[in-house]
Amino acid sequence: MLRHEVVVVGAGLAGQRAALAAVEAGRNVAVVTKLHPLRSHSGAAQGGINAAIGVNDSVDAHTFDTVKGSDYLGDQDAIEYFCREAGPTVIEMEHFGTIFTRSEDGTLAQRPFGGAGFPRTVYAADRTGLALLQGLWERLGDEKFTLYEEWELARIVVREGRLQGIVALDRRSGEFQEVASKAVVIATGGAGRIYGRTTNAHSCTGDGMAVAYQAGAFLKDMEFVQFHPTALLEGGILVTEGARGEGGILKNAVGERFMSKYAPKVLELASRDVVARAIMTEILQGRGYSGPYGPSVHLELMHLGKEKIESRLQEICDLCRSFAGIDPVTQPIPIAPAQHYMMGGVGTNIPGETNIPGLYAAGEAACVSIHGANRLGGNSLMETLVFGKAAGAAAAAYAAKAPETTLTQGDLDPVVAKYRAWFARKDGEEPSVLRSEVQQTMDRYVNIFRTAADLEEGLKRVRAIKERFSRVRVTDQSKVFNLNLSDAIEVEHILDLAEVIIVGAIARTESRGAHFRTDFPKRDDPQWMKHTLARLTPSGPELSYSKVAFTRWEPKERVY
Amino acid sequence: MSAETIPVEFAVYRFQPGKDTAPRFQTYKLDLTPHTPVLTGLLRIRDEVDPSLGLRYSCRSAICGSCAMRINEKSRLACETQVGAEVARHGRIVIEPMRNQAVIRDLVVDQTPFWREYHKIEPHLKLDPRRPMPEGKATPMTPAQVERFKETPRCIACAACYSACPAAEADPSFPGPMALAKLYRFAVDPRDTARTERLLKIQPGGLWLCMRCHLCTEACPKDVRPSERICDLKEMAIAVQGATEMGSRHAVGFKENLKDRGQLNEMKLVRATSGFAGMLGQLGQGIRIYRKKPEIMKKPRKIEGMDELEKIYAALDTPKKEGP
Repeated sequence: MLRHEVVVVGAGLAGQRAALAAVEAGRNVAVVTKLHPLRSHSGAAQGGINAAIGVNDSVDAHTFDTVKGSDYLGDQDAIEYFCREAGPTVIEMEHFGTIFTRSEDGTLAQRPFGGAGFPRTVYAADRTGLALLQGLWERLGDEKFTLYEEWELARIVVREGRLQGIVALDRRSGEFQEVASKAVVIATGGAGRIYGRTTNAHSCTGDGMAVAYQAGAFLKDMEFVQFHPTALLEGGILVTEGARGEGGILKNAVGERFMSKYAPKVLELASRDVVARAIMTEILQGRGYSGPYGPSVHLELMHLGKEKIESRLQEICDLCRSFAGIDPVTQPIPIAPAQHYMMGGVGTNIPGETNIPGLYAAGEAACVSIHGANRLGGNSLMETLVFGKAAGAAAAAYAAKAPETTLTQGDLDPVVAKYRAWFARKDGEEPSVLRSEVQQTMDRYVNIFRTAADLEEGLKRVRAIKERFSRVRVTDQSKVFNLNLSDAIEVEHILDLAEVIIVGAIARTESRGAHFRTDFPKRDDPQWMKHTLARLTPSGPELSYSKVAFTRWEPKERVY
Repeated sequence: MSAETIPVEFAVYRFQPGKDTAPRFQTYKLDLTPHTPVLTGLLRIRDEVDPSLGLRYSCRSAICGSCAMRINEKSRLACETQVGAEVARHGRIVIEPMRNQAVIRDLVVDQTPFWREYHKIEPHLKLDPRRPMPEGKATPMTPAQVERFKETPRCIACAACYSACPAAEADPSFPGPMALAKLYRFAVDPRDTARTERLLKIQPGGLWLCMRCHLCTEACPKDVRPSERICDLKEMAIAVQGATEMGSRHAVGFKENLKDRGQLNEMKLVRATSGFAGMLGQLGQGIRIYRKKPEIMKKPRKIEGMDELEKIYAALDTPKKEGP
């Protein structure tokens, strides 16, 4: 049996940073990832990473913007910690080798981003995630740890009230492997593929969230799903908020710069939830463009000039040209919102501890919570690093003192038996069919504007698909790189998470941040200033609630 | 843009070593809009026709580097290649795994050699403990210094360049375009203190196996231009070490040789490249060439317009403002 002291699942920025912290603490560390680390979805982040290092900026200003952006659902103690750590963290990444865009004076350049009072977003053209991922992988790659590449998380084993290890599928051999470990850090990223229209990679299926939930961990605030305002119509490919940060404007089909109606002060640089709702309102009220790929509004960059567009927004240029056949230097970009980010995740505190001793989480897979009901652009890259490091260090400290694990061959058996049944089934449902149905359901019923009736219908449909999943079938009988099996594993994950999202959204009879109920359009602080916690029971998710931490900022109405 | 569909025929390489006796091509026909990405087509095949098709993919937006494969014989990303243009040019879409990496299953290849070469160039900042990073702040770096990385920070490690590289095919000890472009990235980094050490190591380390065919630059989906950076590395290596390899001696010998008369003195070039002992080894071949083309052994005449040539050499020898 494979044995380590700390196992990190996921090798994006959060996972790599956690692994580095655990290695530096002297622990025997393994990283399990279903992709090569450099192919992680962190690399797709475009616009930048927030740190209050500008001359006139301050940690307090960053903290306030984040609290306000969260619609006061973010835990203020965690946000204060986060904003304090942000400056040293971005400098550490620079020292690791990250190549950032620079100002003429040689300092780190910063651009304005939505919901922020200062140009606070450090960036590397419009491929900041890739730059950070390269820098961190170069740094971590120089250390000693074990990499299990193209392994997929299947089970987290909890016994005697603490973590014992994991079971994972080695895609290359097709074998299930047990890895005994005193501590596990979940850093598997988001779950965008619950939706059909998402900016997320195909690999973002919330594996860590779902498997932790199955092992008894609390999922927190899952009903808060961020829709990015600007995604290409073709496949929901992301167009960075940096495009608006650099001066891009939004126009509807009657040529109106409509954000003046929704956020008169900051226009296109309001919070993402505000801009996404504004775009959808324009479309629903008939002021969108229509076309074969669905309704849209226009994002215009032309006035910025060729030089600026092609240097600061180089990847966006390429994406528009190759994927949409549009040249943003001379043409407006048709865009519409798409699912982008899960504010919710495995519930943790600042050092990443969950309700299960030995189980930690960080990054998008976790919910600390610093984003509350709505995340600000540029805060997620920073979150991966700040809390990845914290969770890795805490997991290492726990593992140094924890008793030996009791993982046995018997822990593998139920996993193998379950998958054998999928292979053996002669009739039944293909996972891809179920996946596309749950995605359509979420797109249609659990989107930007929500109502009790839609959510109830969505829940009914998701539960019906879950029922059909009990007859899922894997037709590909080969062991090596069996993606048909991976599909089935992932569909099980997104089904569990979809159910938790909807149950939380039905219960929350208010509108806050990204959770907007047209039947309850106001924020309701007396009733709902609290985090949703979901725990798996035999009859499905059971909800409870926990307090929001306040330090210095009283809730106010949120106006941009 | 039209949403009308066209019939698209895919011929997809299928092979599972150890299970199948030989690779085969399987044909699938779909109706797709012309600007549908090839990846979308392949995923529809997986979802609707044949879930056993093996391929790597993730971001579908040309940033994760997972879905490089050969599409009508070109190594490229399936996510950013559109079916319409392929069908218009080739009639159908032939999909094969990348080259220079063994097939694991269908389009999934073993990237071990690619990553091994990447790690060999020591892809991390090397710091001199006597020159610590500035405490509590970022290392100063001007936009001009960032420019010197050229497009290398855009590399997504998709390995399309490695697949397209004939030198990697001929000699597996060749680091490959991606690893060398990465080496360039560290060699021009003002924070790195091991530039000379890196360059000393790379000249005998296979740098000169690159034949400047530029197929890597053609294949690169992110315009990293590995072959151009390899040329830069060659110049940098000669600058720190002189010409120590056959490849570099040939390059320097070529330049000096041409300077005299504007035409190559073949005998002198062979000697410059291989040395006197090396020439003896090539005696047999020399005799064969002499029999067919005796004039090659003669000293060439000076060409007309030597003054123009001198100007070119003067320009070459002027130090560049911004070194590569």
